[in-house]
Amino acid sequence: MTSRAKFIANVTTSLGRTEVIKPSRDESTAAFDDAETARTNADRAMAENAANSVTLTDRMAEAASTIGWKVHRVANPEDAADVVASICEQKGATSVLRSTHDVLAEINVDAAVTNTGAKLGVTKHSGDNDEAKVTESKTTAFAADIGITGVDHAVAETGTVVLHPRSGLSRLVSLAPPTHIAVLRPAEILDSLDELFAMERNDHMTGKLAGSMNLISGPSKTADIEGTTVTGIHGPLEVHLIILEND
Amino acid sequence: MKPLTTDFRAKAAETMVDEQVLQSLEHVYTGFFKGRLEAIGNTDNWEELREKGKAIKDHTIAHLDYYLEQLADNVEKNGGSVFFAADAAEARKYVLDLAHARNIKTVIKSKSMVSEEMALGQALIDEGIEAIETDLGEYIIQLSGETPYHLIAPAVHKSRKEVAELLDDNYVEGNPVPDATELTMMAREKLRNVFERADMSVTGVNFAVAESGSITLVTNEGNGRMSTTVPRVHVAVMGMEKIIPSIQDLSTMLRILIRSATGQRISSYVTMVNGPRTSDEEEGPEEFHLVIMDNGRQKLLADEQMRESLNCIRCGACLNACPVYRKVGGHAYGWVYPGPIGAIVTPVLTGLKDAVNLPAASSLCGACHDACPVKINIPRMLLELRYRTAEGSTDKDERTSSAQERTIWKAWRIGMMGRKRFDIGARLSRLFLRPLARNGWLKKAPPPISGWTSTRDFPLVSSSSLKARLNKRSKKAKS
Repeated sequence: MTSRAKFIANVTTSLGRTEVIKPSRDESTAAFDDAETARTNADRAMAENAANSVTLTDRMAEAASTIGWKVHRVANPEDAADVVASICEQKGATSVLRSTHDVLAEINVDAAVTNTGAKLGVTKHSGDNDEAKVTESKTTAFAADIGITGVDHAVAETGTVVLHPRSGLSRLVSLAPPTHIAVLRPAEILDSLDELFAMERNDHMTGKLAGSMNLISGPSKTADIEGTTVTGIHGPLEVHLIILEND
Repeated sequence: MKPLTTDFRAKAAETMVDEQVLQSLEHVYTGFFKGRLEAIGNTDNWEELREKGKAIKDHTIAHLDYYLEQLADNVEKNGGSVFFAADAAEARKYVLDLAHARNIKTVIKSKSMVSEEMALGQALIDEGIEAIETDLGEYIIQLSGETPYHLIAPAVHKSRKEVAELLDDNYVEGNPVPDATELTMMAREKLRNVFERADMSVTGVNFAVAESGSITLVTNEGNGRMSTTVPRVHVAVMGMEKIIPSIQDLSTMLRILIRSATGQRISSYVTMVNGPRTSDEEEGPEEFHLVIMDNGRQKLLADEQMRESLNCIRCGACLNACPVYRKVGGHAYGWVYPGPIGAIVTPVLTGLKDAVNLPAASSLCGACHDACPVKINIPRMLLELRYRTAEGSTDKDERTSSAQERTIWKAWRIGMMGRKRFDIGARLSRLFLRPLARNGWLKKAPPPISGWTSTRDFPLVSSSSLKARLNKRSKKAKS
């Protein structure tokens, strides 16, 4: 018997059974909801977002600032670009890395960054898995002063920014540089974690679940020395959330 | 990790007179305990969330074999490997063999209590592989050569000065001690270099999702993210109970875990990974391995009285709430899991006979039960384990009571079971003990009661029984 079969057989015995039985429907977990229900739940999450976008934006801004995001609410793309430029200047950034989210093109972030004299890199995978390129992409991310991304989803309940790493959005761009700027559009804000995971589950049921997901809620923190909270132990010390409210 | 549960009394006694450690343990109360109360006070449906969390875990544990199969199938479908380890030694060997096979030089470890059970860090170092803890608390503990003091605050007992001695290469005794920010930045710099060169990571698992083969990591520091991003090989190790059925169950589980652990509404980072990096990702591990460990958990599962302990999501709330933990400290419990949850799982996982003092060290105040986000009835299980040590009801080898003690209680029971016997017993005890007592109390009794009177006084049975006195009164009233 393989170690797996033996292990599972032991569990079955410990549970007082002789064979693995499929659990019958139990309301306590969402595991028994079919694809149709998953889709309805996900659709509802998006519909609620559309109906309550203004309230959600207020709640998101409030929750985010409570947990350490520096929140900038701007009314047009130009103002968003100005905020990015002023952060670059304030940080004396020489090297900035960005993702390929559409919203960054909309606010013309490239000009905003390069006008401050900083070098701008874009995380865009070439399509091959060449080890040298992977290493280079890591080195670039670790050397960058600022990482700029859009947002895939946001959660108003917790002030969370959600990113699904992929080509054009490296895992490190929001993690390695000491400053992270996320640009958010109100349409991306979900009410709560329930809506987020309902959408994730629908992605799973339709075979579209992303390889990984990061929920980012404020700067990196620790309280491991005498219970004192300090930001920036491994990830960013400073995180900015720009909310672009023109749509 | 080798259990040292027999040292409970000695270790506890050491801590209880260590002013510095007691001072540090105050953070557990003022930071975590009060933070949790505040967080749940701000959560309208807290009790409902606890019920939901408990229901999810009850369901999963009751069908653990099914969900383990499902999880393993899905991890493999996502391109990962799964290894089922019967014990810590098997799990350790799997990771060491893998590290050698992939020619690994540097392993970064992200906080994992299961890897403590495996004593994995030291095992890697013994094989000539650099292995570095990346959670700041764990890193401090590794530098000082200790084991974690708390489930989520491993270095909570360390003073800033002690941390400075470990972290600050330029620290000289007598100099002003750097503040927490300065020390944290020193650690950041040291660990940054390690992250850049790491080629393998070992992380724990907060929740493994059976339906999708995902693992979820919750950190505030970001070391969990680094570990799932930088190295080419990622190994996640988990106890077999850390499963939930559905992705959608995560919203409930994260809400109760994080509030209970740190009093936050959400931790800085929640990371979900579904295997190795996908083909269009820029970075991320090429290989993902999930090690699912038993290491005695089958005993908890097979034991209907103790099974509920497998619902534990390792938030540490019971430690913070426990008046005993806050005085005896984390090392007294002698193995990986301290506090009330340790007092019930350690005896079963490592042997009740040596750990007999763990379930005994409780006032049964119930604070742990109140604090538990999945409502584990810890006091009930503490009593169950005490019963087993007294009676040896499930296994005679677990019994630690002496034949003499059992005889006394047997006699007591017989004496209490009939009016006549009770009266005779009371009369006899009066006859024998009265000459030794003063003002109705025995200060020093002969054996076998000497065990009692060595730490407290023993009350004498009153000179006449309640029944006798009532009879006397009613006679008086009638006459």
